[in-house]
Amino acid sequence: MSRLWTYERVGNAARAEQLLAGGGRALGGGTDLLTQLDRGIGDTETVVDLRGLGLDGIVVEDGRLRLGATARIADVARHAEVAALFGLLAECAGSIGSQQLREMGTVAGNLCQQPRCWYFRHPDLRCWLRGGDTCYAQIGDHRKHGLEPGDCISVAPSDLAAGLLALGAEVETNRRSMPLAELYRRPSEDDRSTLTLEPGEYVTQATVPRPADKSAYVRVGERAAWSFALAGVAAARFGDEHRLAAIGVANVPRLLDPADPLAGLPGLEMTAWKRRLLSTLVDDAVAAIAAD
Amino acid sequence: MARLVRTEAVVEGRVEQRYTVVEDDITPEYDLDRPPGVVGRPATRVTARSRVTGAATFTTDVRLPGMLEARVLRSPHANARVAALDLDAARAVEGVRCVLGPADASTLGETPALSDHPEFAGAAVAAVAADSGAAAEAALAALAPVFEELGFVTDLDSALARQEFIEEPSESERGDVAAALAAAEVVIESEFDAPAQMHNALESHCAVADWRADGLTVWTSTQSIYQAREQLATMFELDPERVRVICQFMGGGFGAKFGLGAEGVLATELSRRSRRPVRLVFSRRDENRAAGYRTPARISFSIGADAAGRLQAIEASAVMGLGTGGWAYPILEPAKALYACPNVHAMVLPVKQNLGPAAAFRAPGVMEGTWALEQALDEVAERVGLDPLELRRRNHADTDPGTGRPYTSKRLLESYDRAAELAGWDSRESLRGQGRVRRGMGCASQYWWGGGGPPAYAEVRIGAAARPVVTVGLQDLGTGVQTACAIVAAERLGVAVDEISVRAGDTALAGHGPFSGGSMTLASIAPAVRSAGHHVRTQLLDLAAEMFEISATDLTLEEGEIRSVDGALRHPITEVTSKLGNAWVTGSGSRAPNPEGMAVNTFGCQIATVAVDTATGVVRVERVVAVHDVGRIVNPMGARSQVVGGILQGLGFALMEERVIDPTTGTMVNAGLEDYKIPTLADLPEIVCEFVGQADPHLGLGIKGLGEPPVIPTAAAIGNAIAHAVGVRLRAAPYTPRRMLEALA
Repeated sequence: MSRLWTYERVGNAARAEQLLAGGGRALGGGTDLLTQLDRGIGDTETVVDLRGLGLDGIVVEDGRLRLGATARIADVARHAEVAALFGLLAECAGSIGSQQLREMGTVAGNLCQQPRCWYFRHPDLRCWLRGGDTCYAQIGDHRKHGLEPGDCISVAPSDLAAGLLALGAEVETNRRSMPLAELYRRPSEDDRSTLTLEPGEYVTQATVPRPADKSAYVRVGERAAWSFALAGVAAARFGDEHRLAAIGVANVPRLLDPADPLAGLPGLEMTAWKRRLLSTLVDDAVAAIAAD
Repeated sequence: MARLVRTEAVVEGRVEQRYTVVEDDITPEYDLDRPPGVVGRPATRVTARSRVTGAATFTTDVRLPGMLEARVLRSPHANARVAALDLDAARAVEGVRCVLGPADASTLGETPALSDHPEFAGAAVAAVAADSGAAAEAALAALAPVFEELGFVTDLDSALARQEFIEEPSESERGDVAAALAAAEVVIESEFDAPAQMHNALESHCAVADWRADGLTVWTSTQSIYQAREQLATMFELDPERVRVICQFMGGGFGAKFGLGAEGVLATELSRRSRRPVRLVFSRRDENRAAGYRTPARISFSIGADAAGRLQAIEASAVMGLGTGGWAYPILEPAKALYACPNVHAMVLPVKQNLGPAAAFRAPGVMEGTWALEQALDEVAERVGLDPLELRRRNHADTDPGTGRPYTSKRLLESYDRAAELAGWDSRESLRGQGRVRRGMGCASQYWWGGGGPPAYAEVRIGAAARPVVTVGLQDLGTGVQTACAIVAAERLGVAVDEISVRAGDTALAGHGPFSGGSMTLASIAPAVRSAGHHVRTQLLDLAAEMFEISATDLTLEEGEIRSVDGALRHPITEVTSKLGNAWVTGSGSRAPNPEGMAVNTFGCQIATVAVDTATGVVRVERVVAVHDVGRIVNPMGARSQVVGGILQGLGFALMEERVIDPTTGTMVNAGLEDYKIPTLADLPEIVCEFVGQADPHLGLGIKGLGEPPVIPTAAAIGNAIAHAVGVRLRAAPYTPRRMLEALA
């Protein structure tokens, strides 16, 4: 659909906050936002380009990593220091989309993308997550959906979120700082949002406090490249502590209990197969981070 | 002298009788003892530069002064009646020049391009043309359609139960299947579910129409400019000579773009009414909902064999989901014609569904029919304890099993041998391994038509600069047929391939040519091009003979020179052509009919090696060996490209491609490329490609078609390789991690 939006590349935080508080939608690389607007998802009058805020840094300092909100995915994937100390994130970033999409997409855009559910994104349907009454996926074809029952059975798609979650990252917004997991929420009857961002709030950066001793990202897509993960598992080992995070299996990027990784993920009618897949990916990821 | 002859041609399984004008062909055959020069040498595409620099004009690139943008209102419902549609409100939108409702298009086309009873989600209801896309979108919104939703049927079972058919169910039988099955020592029962594969040509359906007082010009992405012209002339009651259809470049079609299409109909009617050029381009989503797909099908077999693996009987049936259109593609033809089986009964049920119309798709019917049959054959081989390739050899058909006709040529047995050698077939049992990843190797045979035939005409001319121009009345689907035409002409004219320009894709040019389908374009046009080139050659040599005072029979054209056979005389061709001034030497040629009473078929064998990760369900195709028998190869580089593309498309069918229809709403949920996955280069296996074909002795220039053969056996070979690897046969494609894990659970 072609229609016109107001586009503003904001130059300071106050203006960004003002426009976003007024219903504007944040633009990073546009690889998700434009496809949403094209289908009438989360309609807005104003597109707020955050790339002029100087939030595109990738900085490794004192063993700590700061990923700016508008740093490009491709830059994360090819950053030498990221690869050296936070290889998990380079792996996650490198697995996203295609080279072209990685060159456009941004860190915050990837973290904040909406579910890829084919009903949610269907231009002619208004599903529960979009404010309607019906989760079409539950009564329809949910072969790629989650393992967790609920009002909405779409899955969190961000590969980068899996890596950051496993590394114990924090995310900062223009208003607060919080563990990454708190950026996400399961949508509820009275609030269908999948993010905890308030009106006017936007992600400014993600920070990783320390490198893991060893880490790995394993995922399976629908083809060898340029596919969202059917499931992905990031694993990081800090001494004896194992942190496992999965995407593609629940509404939110999910921290798994290494002792019982499938807990709370019983599978749905058409997704039982994903339990086997997840279990394999967990085994592979854990094997990859075993002490030498 | 021109003659009118009646000919028979097999086009994608349908026999067509037609009258055609042919001229006497005085062109000598290729000397089989000597390679015919440039023919058979790899050549880059004559259009390569313009394609990669962006200079090539595709239909979507056409911009005319005053051109309007068109948009189509489509029903979101699987079956509905239009209860209200505010055409006046749409017409009142600023910048809107023309609005068409269902009543305005009721006489246009056999299936009206717009309907007030849209029978599938995505069916067109109204169309608008406006000064800008945004104005056209606003007009669509202003139409404010009200739909009365009706019940619908989308799955095959319900459609079969409803007993509505696109074509009457058909049956054919030879021999006595029931008796032969009862007597067979081994009987297997086997059923397969083929998915609907979407064409997803890079360029979606599109047309630009320019209706003027002195005639109509339509640019459109079509596989048959002449068929489009005929449809336009009939539909709009125009003299065909006043209708010009142009398709100089197209970004693929794969069978979904024969003739005019709704985009051409609507663009033309909008242009006729608005008296402005109108451009209509389908979105990817519209394309995938309304512009065709490979038919999904349930294919069942009972196959009886003796203990030695010789086929005794095949009972075959297929339920084909044709949506709201298309035709019963020859899905059981492989069961009837691939092997020497004396008793075959085949029944086809082409059911109607509330889905867009099916369309031909690269080897329609035969590809999915082969996918099923060739896996059932492996099941027979397993039951009788025979090597799958040996089973196929034992059932080789020496003549066409249905008609008893001899083949013009058949090198299927050689294909098996060569493919086995290249693949390392004999050591396939050592591939498997005991770990989590299991490897397997599977084979499949390929059967198709592809002999080409008349009518096909070509014109060749050469001017002062000695840069020949070949004109053919066809469109290049993307196969590189123009390059092949240049190669064929270059051999007669003794100039380099890149000295030749090929004009095609425009009905205003000379000569009527074949459509791009049925793997028949090159086999049809090449003899006409060579004949036209030969006429020019003869005249040039006559001119040279006069100039140099030597007999023309002592002269030849080679490497840009006119040479005497004894080598004493060598002059650049331009020494003769420069005397032409602004005149040309021209020649024309036509395609002669194929021999009567013979079967013209292409054959081949592919062997796939796969690795199955039994813990993730991921199937990786590691290697495909493709050996095809398609007669003479004109351009090995182009031929290999066809094979690579075909294998990738077959791999897509096998591993990832599948239209998904929501059972609750009847709408397609993966109509965009985000959800509908086609293979990427990262999925590409190693491809080993060879051709066993020497020239077919009964066909013009010995050429058989290659467009469709490579896609036919790939998915079957992959299915057989998976079964070999893990001992489990998946009954439904694509073989996704989900299906693989469910099957292994």
